[in-house]
Amino acid sequence: MTDTVSSWRKVLDSGDTQKRYAQFVRERNDRINAFLEFDPGRSAAGEKGTDSTLAGLPFGVKDNIAVEGFRLSCGSRILEGLVSPYSATAVRRLQSAGARVVGKTNLDEFGMGSSTETSSFGYTKNPWDLTRVSGGSSGGSAAAVAAGLVPFAIGSDTGGSIRQPAAFCGVYGLKPTYGSVSRYGLVAYASSLEVIGVVARTVDMTERAFNAMRGSDTMDQTSMDAAEYDGAGFGDAGPIRKGEVSRIGVIGGDLGLSPGVASAYALSIERLRKRGYEIVEISLPMLEYVVPVYYTIATAEASANLARFNGIRYGLRPDYAENPDELVRIARDRGFGDEVKLRVLLGTYVLRSGFQDQYYLRAQKIRTAVRNELAAAYREVDLILMPAFPTNAFKAGGAAAGESALDPFQQKVADRFTSTANLAGLPALSFPVSIEEGVPAGMQFMAPPFSEEKLFLAGREMEEEFPAPEPPDFPARWR
Amino acid sequence: METSELELTADLAHIDLKHEEYEALGRAVEQMIEYFSRMNEVDVSGLEPTTHALILRNRLRPDVPGQKNASDPLLENAPELEDRFIVIPNVL
Repeated sequence: MTDTVSSWRKVLDSGDTQKRYAQFVRERNDRINAFLEFDPGRSAAGEKGTDSTLAGLPFGVKDNIAVEGFRLSCGSRILEGLVSPYSATAVRRLQSAGARVVGKTNLDEFGMGSSTETSSFGYTKNPWDLTRVSGGSSGGSAAAVAAGLVPFAIGSDTGGSIRQPAAFCGVYGLKPTYGSVSRYGLVAYASSLEVIGVVARTVDMTERAFNAMRGSDTMDQTSMDAAEYDGAGFGDAGPIRKGEVSRIGVIGGDLGLSPGVASAYALSIERLRKRGYEIVEISLPMLEYVVPVYYTIATAEASANLARFNGIRYGLRPDYAENPDELVRIARDRGFGDEVKLRVLLGTYVLRSGFQDQYYLRAQKIRTAVRNELAAAYREVDLILMPAFPTNAFKAGGAAAGESALDPFQQKVADRFTSTANLAGLPALSFPVSIEEGVPAGMQFMAPPFSEEKLFLAGREMEEEFPAPEPPDFPARWR
Repeated sequence: METSELELTADLAHIDLKHEEYEALGRAVEQMIEYFSRMNEVDVSGLEPTTHALILRNRLRPDVPGQKNASDPLLENAPELEDRFIVIPNVL
């Protein structure tokens, strides 16, 4: 590990190594399309931090997070050409710890998708199998880390967008507690659900990056320090109970998993038992309703958040229109892809007068039930173990790709394990377990609010059992 | 879903749907709305709505000036400028 970190520290040291590094990344990136923009020279100067935990380390930033001087496309034509005038707080904090942005990574348009296939700039291929997707929406960040292009990358997780691609690519993906990392500079999709998090090859690197980013920020009034959280409803959010065998909750019954993911789930349970954890079967009846609740709330918030994109002040602008209203409509019709249009339409529909109580308000009430159910579960267990996704990386091309493919509706229904944490604001860490049908299968731990340290503790034990695998076609990371 | 319902929704969302988009998008919207109706199975009586999972009250920052002014680089992103005004196509 230390060797890897010290070799990464040198890549931006001199013009010569930087040139070789850029060459190395461009060759690999041509095969997978993880970076939309890559320029290791741009932010190299003048960012030597006093905190040395990340000194000199290059990192990638999902292209819906602002970095001054880099583009901010959100994978959408409507923002083509936009250059960010400022940097997100999370990015600035990583830079203060010594890390350096080298590029912007691909994503589903505005974070809306599970495969990066809704990106306007082509999808990111899975380094394990180029015919499969890297997952989404932070697929570019996960693939960049898995293919050895950067030691870590940041992304955003609204309903699983860090954990699912991390699981698909065989790396670690942290969705922190809602509010523990400032959203200032993250282009808003669903404000009450999303948070900036980390993708990395090791638990240690994941934790370092998270520690550098976390903490309240005056620019985001929903951000807070762990110490400010009053624990409402979730009781003790401290470290794994001392002096007892730690208890891990698992969900029984038929979870509708693919055979590969089911066997990875069983294998991770077996190893946890072997390591002395007590496995407790819990029941979460509300899991059944998590996806409709999640999509009702996410699309409602998206329809409001995306109303600002009107093609007037920046981005794509039509050449002519009959009147100002038409100008906006034409920009949005040409600028947004089908998935974004679908979600904006859905969100507008569920917020329409007459329908609000039936959909949006009801979803918010069931969100309370989901939260209550999880709070009750954490009185019995320290962590909950679940798959990150019911299948491993599926084939690109949607339903037309035949077997091992998922159409857009099936992809949404499959968000049930990940979006639970977003509805309740909980932290979760996905980790690689095994290789099934040639591609990685991953699980996730979900913890009470502000108890990321529990995730890292159990995550390290699992890392000893299942170290992050290396894709055969992308060996020998940067030395 | 009735085409008129979809039209009204698209109008509210400021999205001009092309003729050929109606069928596919309409089907996708309908499929999701039908899926949302699964929420009717849950008894929500006595449950308060959750707007934010962990934040129970407003949190305000001290009202002091000192923000970085990014108006110049923001204006540089405008498609067309005249002095510090954004020019839009002639629409009248």
